[in-house]
Amino acid sequence: MRSYLGIFKMQFKSELQYRAKAWSGIATQFFWGILLISLYTAFMANDQVNGFSISQMASYIWLGQAFFVMRYIYLLPSTSEEIVSGNVGYKFVRPINLYNQWFSEHLGQKVSATLLRFPLIIIISLLLPSTIGLSLPVSITAFLLFILSLIVGTLLSVAISMLAVYLVFKTLSDRGAVTLVSTISGLLGGTYIPIPLMPDFIQDIVNYLPFRYISDLPIRIYIGNVGISDALVHIGICIAWLVAIVILGKILIKATAKKAVIQGG
Amino acid sequence: MLYRKYLKNQFLSAAQYKLNTFLTAFAQVIINIGEILAVWMLFSRFETVGEWGFYQALLMMGVIFTAFSINECFARGYDEFSKLIRTGQLDRMLIRPVNIHYQIFGSKIEFSKILRIVLGITVSIIALINLNADWNFYKVLVLIAMYASAVCVVFGLFVIGATISIYTIQKYEFLNIITDGTKEVAYYPINIYSKWLRGIFTFVIPVASFNYLPLSFIMGTGSIPQWLCAISPIFGMLFVIPCIIVFNISLKKYQGTGT
Repeated sequence: MRSYLGIFKMQFKSELQYRAKAWSGIATQFFWGILLISLYTAFMANDQVNGFSISQMASYIWLGQAFFVMRYIYLLPSTSEEIVSGNVGYKFVRPINLYNQWFSEHLGQKVSATLLRFPLIIIISLLLPSTIGLSLPVSITAFLLFILSLIVGTLLSVAISMLAVYLVFKTLSDRGAVTLVSTISGLLGGTYIPIPLMPDFIQDIVNYLPFRYISDLPIRIYIGNVGISDALVHIGICIAWLVAIVILGKILIKATAKKAVIQGG
Repeated sequence: MLYRKYLKNQFLSAAQYKLNTFLTAFAQVIINIGEILAVWMLFSRFETVGEWGFYQALLMMGVIFTAFSINECFARGYDEFSKLIRTGQLDRMLIRPVNIHYQIFGSKIEFSKILRIVLGITVSIIALINLNADWNFYKVLVLIAMYASAVCVVFGLFVIGATISIYTIQKYEFLNIITDGTKEVAYYPINIYSKWLRGIFTFVIPVASFNYLPLSFIMGTGSIPQWLCAISPIFGMLFVIPCIIVFNISLKKYQGTGT
């Protein structure tokens, strides 16, 4: 456990060095937030959708932008590089678990990149007028459950990224398969458009899939679109998904590592 | 002809990495299909936005996909201009007795983008079939001008990006807001956005010239005079001229990065 904590810390600290990247990330996220709110306001035409109001929509967008790094599925370039180049062989011989190592690396990078970006976006969006800005959480309980589900959601996001690592192993390319995972998870997880704005029959499908638990659930707890008792049930489901996907990822990566042929020499 | 040689060399190099080129192209098309599905979902809940329906928005997506991918394929050199500067390739180009723009065009031709061009055209055709417009000669003319205008505006943006990197050497990520932001804005007829967003993308970056203005003419709707809508694509084409002039002036001041 200590060595994984060390990997987490190392990745955390190294990401903190990229402050210029964080600034440009904040600028981009801010522009995107304004654009999306303007767009959905036009679609909603000053009306609510099944109890989802314009001001809730604005909060949904800003929280999504603030925690963008955490909800977005991607692989660290170093990870796909070491698999494609064959340097991953060095990792095989170390006495630590391959899956846990990658998991801690990705988690460290995600947490640190998020911490650099979210405070400024949250502060600015809280200051905007309520129809285009972020509102305060509906209650303290909701806020605490928001934090809890956000933590579980981040772990789930990393666990899904690990399935993408498996696909890189299989295809020996960091393109194609990873983009496919990232697009599916973004589309069905509410990153492309907020889930409450999707047509009902798509929402029915999305509710049975794990992707919405990454960021849609925490955000909807925060804005009060999911009640407290429902929230507890959903956080339970989210933890079940997390355990299942971690186990699946571990099995897949272990099986692949056993049969792996290291390219080059 | 020199460009044909550039084209052939770049094609041969892409053909060396067949699987990689294909996977890259495949990945990019997946992203676009995801975006189309998102727009479709919104319209299947709301049916209309402002005065527009799904197929009008789909035509706008077709236009910007096509224009963007044509530029990404053939004008990639401008998009990655900072690379030409940092590697010193630009310095070498400048001493050759061939026009610099000709060489920038030839420096990088990305064949993996062709799949995206195909997607853009396919999306456009699906939208046009379902559009229910009363077609006549002038409308077809405006439609063609709309695509030409879009190609020109996106090219102008690539040139602006290249111009900025002459001064900054590095490529700053937030500059992508200009190109990617413009692309994202243009997925919908832009008169649905708030006033000042619409203002920026009409008068600063002339997205309107290949967006809701010609669309209004084709559909015969809107409160803006029809003749103005019909000639609007011309403004987008003219946008390239100041971009190129500023680029050329900046390049004259360029002193090399030294190695």
